[in-house]
Amino acid sequence: QRVLLLVASDVDALCACKILQALFQCDHVQYTLVPVSGWQELETAFLEHKDQFKYFVLINCGANVDLLEILQPEEDTFFFVCDSHRPINVVNVYNDTQVKLLVKQDDDLDVPAYDDIFRDEEDEEEDSESESEGSEPLEKRRRFEEEVIERTMRRRQRREWEARRREILFDYEQYEYHGTSSAMVMFDLAWIMSKDLNDMLWWAIVGLTDQWVQDKITQMKYVTDIGILQRHVSRHNHRNEDEENSLSIDCMRIAFEYDLRLALYQHWSLYESLCNTSYTSASLKLWSVQGQKRLQEFLADMGLPLKQVKQKFNSMDMSLKENLREMIEESANKFGMKDLRVQTFSIHFGFKNKFSASDIVYATTSLMENIEKEGPETTNFIKALDSLSRGNLDKLHQGLDLAKKQLRAIQQTVASCICTNLVISQGPFLYCSLMEGTPDVKLFSKPVSLCLLSKYLLKSFVCSTKNKRCKLLPLVMAAPMDVEQGTVIMVGIPPETESSDKKNFFGRAFEKAAESTSSRTLHNHFELSIIELKTEDRSKFLDALISLLS
Amino acid sequence: VRKHSQHMKLFKNKGKDETSLRRQRVEVSIELRKAKKDEQILKRRNISIHVKEENPTLGQGRSFEIIQPSLEEIMEAVNGDDTELQLLATQAARRLLSRHRDPPINQIIELGIIPRMVEFLGRADNAGLQFEAAWALTNIASGTSEHTRAVVEGGAIPAFISLLSSPHMHISEQSVWALGNIAGDGPLFRDALIARDVIPPLLALVSPATPIGFLRNITWTLSNLCRNKNPCPPLDAVKKILPVLIFLLQHEDKEVISDSCWAVSYLTDSCNDRIQVVVDTGILPRLVELMDSPDVNVVTPALRAVGNVVTGTDQQTQEAIDAGVLTVLPRLLRHTKPVIQKEAAWTLSNIAAGPCQQIQQIITCGLLPPLVELLSKGDFKAQKEAVWVVANFTTGGTVDQVVELVRSGVLKPLLNLLLAKDSKTILTILETISKLFMAAEKLGETEKLCLLVEELDGLEKIENLQNHENDMVYRAALDIIEKYFSGEEMTDLEPQTGQDGLYDFSVEKEDFNF
Repeated sequence: QRVLLLVASDVDALCACKILQALFQCDHVQYTLVPVSGWQELETAFLEHKDQFKYFVLINCGANVDLLEILQPEEDTFFFVCDSHRPINVVNVYNDTQVKLLVKQDDDLDVPAYDDIFRDEEDEEEDSESESEGSEPLEKRRRFEEEVIERTMRRRQRREWEARRREILFDYEQYEYHGTSSAMVMFDLAWIMSKDLNDMLWWAIVGLTDQWVQDKITQMKYVTDIGILQRHVSRHNHRNEDEENSLSIDCMRIAFEYDLRLALYQHWSLYESLCNTSYTSASLKLWSVQGQKRLQEFLADMGLPLKQVKQKFNSMDMSLKENLREMIEESANKFGMKDLRVQTFSIHFGFKNKFSASDIVYATTSLMENIEKEGPETTNFIKALDSLSRGNLDKLHQGLDLAKKQLRAIQQTVASCICTNLVISQGPFLYCSLMEGTPDVKLFSKPVSLCLLSKYLLKSFVCSTKNKRCKLLPLVMAAPMDVEQGTVIMVGIPPETESSDKKNFFGRAFEKAAESTSSRTLHNHFELSIIELKTEDRSKFLDALISLLS
Repeated sequence: VRKHSQHMKLFKNKGKDETSLRRQRVEVSIELRKAKKDEQILKRRNISIHVKEENPTLGQGRSFEIIQPSLEEIMEAVNGDDTELQLLATQAARRLLSRHRDPPINQIIELGIIPRMVEFLGRADNAGLQFEAAWALTNIASGTSEHTRAVVEGGAIPAFISLLSSPHMHISEQSVWALGNIAGDGPLFRDALIARDVIPPLLALVSPATPIGFLRNITWTLSNLCRNKNPCPPLDAVKKILPVLIFLLQHEDKEVISDSCWAVSYLTDSCNDRIQVVVDTGILPRLVELMDSPDVNVVTPALRAVGNVVTGTDQQTQEAIDAGVLTVLPRLLRHTKPVIQKEAAWTLSNIAAGPCQQIQQIITCGLLPPLVELLSKGDFKAQKEAVWVVANFTTGGTVDQVVELVRSGVLKPLLNLLLAKDSKTILTILETISKLFMAAEKLGETEKLCLLVEELDGLEKIENLQNHENDMVYRAALDIIEKYFSGEEMTDLEPQTGQDGLYDFSVEKEDFNF
């Protein structure tokens, strides 16, 4: 039986897809891969293939809406859903025939109890006797409570039940968030089947790192999952510790690292990386003159010559690189950057190939959202997917270059937004809109890039503002999407606080605001907090959003 | 924005409107996890027990501010001396017993309060208490045989019978209901009630002024007093009830009529002597009239009653024919309800088992066309009955009558039914075919019948039946093949279509006998 693989456009999905492809290859399962970037494409892909396929695997899409309702499949069609989007739609949870969810056992889903949200039909039709037509009278009959009282009572109970159901579902569906990375779930599956390979483990690591880079999970969840993966890493990579059995240098090795949180620094210059990493840039406030001065002081404190810092990291003096992490960490502490190091993993193969997990995430994301058109819609997806294989170093390097461009563009845009006071408080949330004609604005018509920009901007804004109330607000950001059609892309992100649970209420809020104003919106993205909106409808939509959240 | 409206629709499903949309889908394709559901059911039970026993203030009447005491409290109060508490507790017990879901009949019985509640039935000074006790006992008696026995053994029969004459109509009505439940348990308690002379006071309640709801209860209880065999109810009891049933059959209320018809059908489901008792009342014309009712709830028991009558003697059957049963049956054979078709065919089969004069009346009244229709496209159970009609007809009918039957086109659907799975039916058909051949032999038309059977693909079917797993079927099929389709070369029987028209056996031909 051939399987149709429907894969969303995010790095975690790509990684999960790679693992599954490897498993399919192992078991000689035939499959067709279709990338889907939103609900429309998912629906179209399903309609196109539903006659040839009975089994559909959905990766990072499909869990958070009622699949059967949307796709109206035949009864013999089955969906296997591996999706980190939460909350999972309750119908998907309780459907035990056509929808099979791949969820990590210890993920706490908090799904409402079946009886609280579904009612068996039979309960309601207790007293319909129409079918007994012409049958013999009962031998014995019980006398029930007065009909009227019974009926009123039942109706009242029913109303109460429904009100409670609405409340329960509202609570359950109010916030969007993310569960365990799909790549990790898929790796777990491979492990359970004893088919896990080091390559698969690396993809699981990249999947998790994607969630961290995109700020989708809490720090706590990240650290926990890193711990889980670390056990697998030592299981798979212990052979190198033993001289006699050491592997050839060409073989891939994964190593745990307590690494610097500086984006792409090993493929860049330390200076560029410091400037274009959200954490350092925001902490040092690099958009201001004082900020630039602080950067110089910071470098001086470390005792690193500017010339060394500004040249390619690879070419830096070996002597300086020794203890570099510790040195930087020490100085960073003095400058209020307590979390400059982070637990992560790196991969080594050959003599000079070393990549940190976040390098891969940035490179793959950039390939996926590359705005230079290089062919049909799916080209970017395929290229991004390919870059995850070790054999495609050229694609990976192209991705790294694109990623640098992207990070620079983000930092420049953040700086200009802050310097020109484009972030404004709307009361219940902060709002920032990019104008048509802003440099690099085209890049931010892509959802992941826009999300990254929003997160970096919010972080920087929180560091720049003195208004304590504003520090606690979420951010809504808009960017031009399609000038000809007059649409903007809009994203809402939760407040930037240390203890943030990364839960996002904008998905539901956007829906309500659009509905109450009849704004022409398209909720096409798998992330419900990303929408497309007609530019003309923006102001009434925002007004509604403000009053809704006030 | 592309495909805007359609997608907004999809998305609206997400947050809102779940009740209708989701439910629809749930209905179609959700099979909840079995284990999960069982667990939930268990929980539900736990909760209800919890509510009853540990948290008496949260009973199901909560929204009406009714305080539901625990079973313990009910028992104490019922056994106590405080009349007010007795009433409250009996009412509470009644309320538990009259809720839709899981009435705690066993638990209430186990409290041992039935004798006490029977005692309350006699409290003529406290109508409220009498009524609540009567209702509670009614519901206990509505359960299994064991439950009913608990009520009877508590001494409820005489108490309820004397309450039939209570000045309070609602109490006497509740007693009628309770007695109905006791009578419905089976012949033993039914006859115990009759022996206690339940019938006179019960019949006394029937008058033109009796409210309709009350009358329905009485009719139902009466039907239970006529119900069940081994033994059937005592003759003198039946004779007392019958005149009232005839009166009730004239009523305008469909439920009253329906239950009265059922009562008559129980009385006719018996030996010929008992059928005679019913026929003697002159009830048949009214029953036949009711067979023609637009209401299935009336047609079914009326048809059953008349169907039972024609299982009786030829004379009893003739009375039913004289009452017009054959004029009503064509419509019932074509009824939309398969059950009615089946019962009508069953009735007809018993008339067809009668003397040839009665068979002639079947032909005269135009029963053959609807019979053939039913045989060819009726419900399978009805078809089986129709096969019996044909079988009985060919057994008892004259040669002319049998020719008439074949002419009406019965052969084709009859042969088609040889494909049925049911050996008994196949066997009956094969026997019928043999009889048809015997008739054809008398007329010297064997070859023509052979040809007809062959043309209708019957020969092939009969030949195939020689491989049937059932030995009787195999032998019957073999017998027909050997007698009529072998020996002589088939060539002799090659289509003799030349002589005068296509098929000499075609059904509308005038110039042939068969």
